[in-house]
Amino acid sequence: MQNPPVPVGAKAGQPRHLSRRRSVRAGSRRQPTSRWAGWGFALPALVLVAVFGLMPILVAAAVSFTDLDIGGLAHPETIRLVGAENYLTLAADPEFWSAFALTAGYVVVGVPLITVLALAVATGLNRNGGRFYRLLRTLYFLPAVTALVAISVIWKYMFNGQFGLFNWLLDLAGLPAVNWLSDPTSAQIAVGMVAVWRAIGLNSIILLAALQGVPDDQLEAAALDGAGPVRRYLHVVLPQIRFALGFVVMTTLIGWLQFFDEPFVLTDGGPVGATTSLSLFLFKRGFRLNEFGYASAGSIVLLVTIAAVTLIQLRLRRAND
Amino acid sequence: MMHSRRAATALVATLILATSAGCAAGSAASSTPSGSTSASSSAAAYGKTLTVWVMGDSATKFEQLITPFETQTGIDVTVEAIPWDSVNDRLTSAVASGKGPDVTQIGLSQLASFLKGDALADVSADLAAYPNLAESNFPSAVANKALNPSGGVYSVPWIADTRVLFYRSDLLSAAGISAPPKTWDELRADAKKLTDKAAKRYGYYIPQWDAPLPVTYTWQAGGEIMTDGKVDVTSSAFTKAADHYLGLYADGSVPTASDFDQTTGFISGSVAMLVSGPYLAKAVAEQAPDLDGKWSVATVPTDASGTSLYAGSNLGVWKNTTNKVGALMLLNYLADPATQVSWYTSNGDLPAATAAYQDAKLSGDPLVKVYAEQLKDARLLPVSTKWDAASSEILTALNKIAVSGADKASTLKALADKVATINAGN
Repeated sequence: MQNPPVPVGAKAGQPRHLSRRRSVRAGSRRQPTSRWAGWGFALPALVLVAVFGLMPILVAAAVSFTDLDIGGLAHPETIRLVGAENYLTLAADPEFWSAFALTAGYVVVGVPLITVLALAVATGLNRNGGRFYRLLRTLYFLPAVTALVAISVIWKYMFNGQFGLFNWLLDLAGLPAVNWLSDPTSAQIAVGMVAVWRAIGLNSIILLAALQGVPDDQLEAAALDGAGPVRRYLHVVLPQIRFALGFVVMTTLIGWLQFFDEPFVLTDGGPVGATTSLSLFLFKRGFRLNEFGYASAGSIVLLVTIAAVTLIQLRLRRAND
Repeated sequence: MMHSRRAATALVATLILATSAGCAAGSAASSTPSGSTSASSSAAAYGKTLTVWVMGDSATKFEQLITPFETQTGIDVTVEAIPWDSVNDRLTSAVASGKGPDVTQIGLSQLASFLKGDALADVSADLAAYPNLAESNFPSAVANKALNPSGGVYSVPWIADTRVLFYRSDLLSAAGISAPPKTWDELRADAKKLTDKAAKRYGYYIPQWDAPLPVTYTWQAGGEIMTDGKVDVTSSAFTKAADHYLGLYADGSVPTASDFDQTTGFISGSVAMLVSGPYLAKAVAEQAPDLDGKWSVATVPTDASGTSLYAGSNLGVWKNTTNKVGALMLLNYLADPATQVSWYTSNGDLPAATAAYQDAKLSGDPLVKVYAEQLKDARLLPVSTKWDAASSEILTALNKIAVSGADKASTLKALADKVATINAGN
């Protein structure tokens, strides 16, 4: 790590055209003046990150060792330092653990599901550049650009047990009604479904862009060498889009760990707490009950979890490369 | 453009200064007795601007309501609408920054947070000068002692709200029930009788988000939910309340879907009876005018008592307001029975001032008659942040047993432990 800002994981094992470009840039960086110029260009962004990214985290970390609540906001002199008490309470709080387990479950099921589905959609869209496919591309992207709360409200109506679209369709087909959002298990599935539906749009566009960057000549060469479509896909296409795939996996992983909007709008964490994700749990404690200290402790735990999971993932990727 | 606007502002400001100086000079010069018309001009000096937080979406109507006040006093009132969902955010940021409005509406369920955040001014010393704000003008449910558990007077009543029994008279008579249930036992029996699984009809509905319901049941069973500053879920009254709540589910008389919509359910006849507030009457009248005459309201079924919930909103003066006198004048205007009646006619909110119910606009309405009757036997939820934390625990525990089939004894035991932790907190 002697040469400064080289992006993490950019050194080895890049697809060839990428690493060639990097080496050109690295060459120009040897001039001593440009090193400081680089920092100068990075400075505004660094300041922003420090003020709006790092500082809130430090404040939250500090608050997590206090009993700050709304009374403490009014009279800062009454705030007490409580040491690790918030963390100990958290460790003994069954609601925290059930939120943690739920979030972990969403990660385990949701990340592969979104990646595979987004890849399938992207592969399908990549087969043809015709007008119909371009229309499809727009349609798939639509969920990612519509207002989240608005679509969640529409889903809520479609899921409604009394007058929702889904139960009406089930009824037409002569099937029994499903309590989509009011049965704990089906609510967990329904809320996750909406999130998957939303995530596929953006991620398939990212993967589609990567797929379109796969050089035709390589595919042709592989075909000439006798590789069938499956082998070409596995051994030519997938390695080429590895970077984009890694990005999709990492962002969806973080997205699931911070899972909030869908359960917030669709179920508000219910029924009987079944869809209370970690973020929603923290929101309720922090902003409904004003237990700022306790919620901060929880958010630090979440932050550490996300950082740990992301680091492990980066390590694994580097080991693979 | 910019320039000319600033010039215009300066001009307006100068004009205002000139006219107000002129007024002051004029009133000082002409000290004729007929000149002093309003009582307020003889009172202490007051500022000419006020900012008011109004919760929900009734800001426009509120502006119309206070237009006469603005003309009378010359105070320019800025009304800011705060959506109910973001009240707590606005409160915490105002408390943290020290910058709030002059006057704020306070939903009674949020009063504890406003008090704990020390956001409101104690007006107990000022009340004598404002006759409309006297404690005796309002129901005993909102007596100063109930509203301010640690003493002082930090808010005054503004809107009343309560819960009554709504029932579909057509469905009841079709089932051979001549009058709405008067007691818990009658309610359970009637609810069972009205439930018809084939017709997808339930006799009764319990909103799974209705935190006050187990509390009103506890009161009706003759007990208290909070004694000596501690939430009590081990009393015999609470046990009785829980049995009543769970019994209705066990009978199969209540829909178990948490997304059951009460308005749609009541209109379509999927539920024959439920306990709800005047807002349901409004929604039914708007959405299903042809249902008129097929439904009505009654005071809640009783056990040891027929106590219901006193909900609604108060008004408070912000602690660091620079215009306390003006703020209190506005509060006095809003608590005037005449203002309360016009607010009822424009926005449909029930008056907090008892005298307003004698107005023909209210006394002629059979629904309001029932509401007024119920308000005489209605109580506030505990004004305590401990209660806020405990209420959702109670609700979740009861629903776990009722809906997800959790074991009753162990769930209630876990609830008692959880509530004990909350009680032990600060």
